Amino acid sequence: MLSAYKRLFPALVFAALVFAPVAVFSSRIVSREISFFYALAWAVFAGGVAFASFYTGRVSFFRRIFFSVSALAFLVHFKFNLFSKVFDSSCFKDTPYCHIAIAPSFLNYLYLQYLALMSGGWAVWGPLSLVFVWLFATLIIGRAWCSWACFYGGIDDGLSALPKKALLKTEKWGFKLRDFPAALLIFLLLVSFANMLPVYCLWLCPFKMTGSFLDTDYALIRNIQYGLMVLALAVLFLGPLLTKKRTFCSFLCPFGAWQAFWGKLNPFRISVNALKCTGCQACVEACPMYAIESEPGSKAEISSYCNLCGECLKACAAGGINYSVLGFRMPYITEGFGKLLNPESFLVFSALTLGATFASLWAPAAMGDIVKLIR
Amino acid sequence: MAALFSEGFLLGLSTGAYCLASCLPVLAPYLLAGGGLSWKINFLIFIEFLAGRFIAYTLFALVAVSLGKASGPYLPQRALAAGMVVTALFMFYFLFSGRLKKHAPCLASLPAAWAEKRIPFLLGFLTGINICPPFAAGLLRLMGLADALKGLAYFGGFFTSTSLFLLPALTPTPFLGSRLKRIGRMTLFLAALWYLFLGLKGLISLP
Repeated sequence: MLSAYKRLFPALVFAALVFAPVAVFSSRIVSREISFFYALAWAVFAGGVAFASFYTGRVSFFRRIFFSVSALAFLVHFKFNLFSKVFDSSCFKDTPYCHIAIAPSFLNYLYLQYLALMSGGWAVWGPLSLVFVWLFATLIIGRAWCSWACFYGGIDDGLSALPKKALLKTEKWGFKLRDFPAALLIFLLLVSFANMLPVYCLWLCPFKMTGSFLDTDYALIRNIQYGLMVLALAVLFLGPLLTKKRTFCSFLCPFGAWQAFWGKLNPFRISVNALKCTGCQACVEACPMYAIESEPGSKAEISSYCNLCGECLKACAAGGINYSVLGFRMPYITEGFGKLLNPESFLVFSALTLGATFASLWAPAAMGDIVKLIR
Repeated sequence: MAALFSEGFLLGLSTGAYCLASCLPVLAPYLLAGGGLSWKINFLIFIEFLAGRFIAYTLFALVAVSLGKASGPYLPQRALAAGMVVTALFMFYFLFSGRLKKHAPCLASLPAAWAEKRIPFLLGFLTGINICPPFAAGLLRLMGLADALKGLAYFGGFFTSTSLFLLPALTPTPFLGSRLKRIGRMTLFLAALWYLFLGLKGLISLP
């Protein structure tokens, strides 16, 4: 009974705290199109993940399951829609409503908003509304977006966990190229603005790879676009399998660089206890994002590219790495209802609730697609 | 004269976003990669870039006034595409000149060594010859005036206000560290590839 009180009941309360808002928001989102039960099933799944991670303390393991399932659901639903009328080439040159597109097309959004305000066209308020949603998400979970909510990240993360060992050792050049997404972001911001086109979506987005999107007059350009998209696909799917790292997120995602900058607005951090760190570098190897740097024997340094996935917590044998609020170390409560007050619990609650609510845009619908396909 | 200056200034203010869009992809990465730690150094680079742009615009304006017709001053499409290729080559040269000199010291005595010092000016000039829509509009008014001094006042106002739009490019430069410079070099490399692609595409696709 005492054990149940100390472990089971707090975990059930935690699961209920995640389940309730996800069920409410998810059912609101899907109610117009599909049955309420799909939303309920999705909320039960999110609640189950919350329960398992709280009960076992294996945050990263269950996060990855949730994250990968969410990304797979996106692929299923997106591909079902892809072959229908939703995304045809005539509408593609508008910047799509996708979080990845926010960063490289931000100047375009601002300019369109400026034009809307100047013309009195208040109905064209659309572009920046997505930015407000992003700002809200950034304040709530910051960089954790990249390890709890992003559908690209889910694929990259899930695949990076499959191999037992890395076939390619990438640390040498990996850290050298780690700033490439920042360069890509600056370049895309400027070039997208100069051409008033979502250049990233047109040239690099691997999810958009179908003939109908490449509506250009020149075969050469079409071939280059295909080539770049195949490269991006390889980095997204093959890269993690070969390197055990999230290669697309680490080297090709402009939103990752954007979020690394703005993520500082959010208080959640990963902190290293200098007294416990032995400089063994297990965390450096475990980090799928090349976000931890350390010389042998010296304290590990967490960079702003850290997306709070928690892989390093699991890897640190000395228990020297923890979730914290603004880097302040707090006593870590391991049992009972007090565990609900750990920074880790706050982060998991915020990230899982927000990630699951965001995924309600496609995950329940993907279940519906699969059921329809089976029938 | 003051009225003409204001008119040009207002035209520039209302259309400056276009100038920003056409010049920033070249200027911003260069400032990140080649800028210094003080405002003074970066401001000099900025001024040099503007001077290049100013010279290019003035040359066009002079040709426009002397020809007295709207279609005269435009460069052939092929020359514009070639200009983009040359812009890209200067960017590459800036990025790799250090390594080039290390492996081939004789290159230091070539005219390219002078070009390396004047890269902001050359980049400004090369972006200037790719006429943007607001400048084309200003040019028409300039030819209507048919007076060199009046044209200078009008054009001075236009150039001043459009240059204001480029000032935000200076904002991050005092915070340049080795890391931001590295990011700047990578950005410049991507921008150079982009300009090379656009230039080659123009050269290949034109009849």
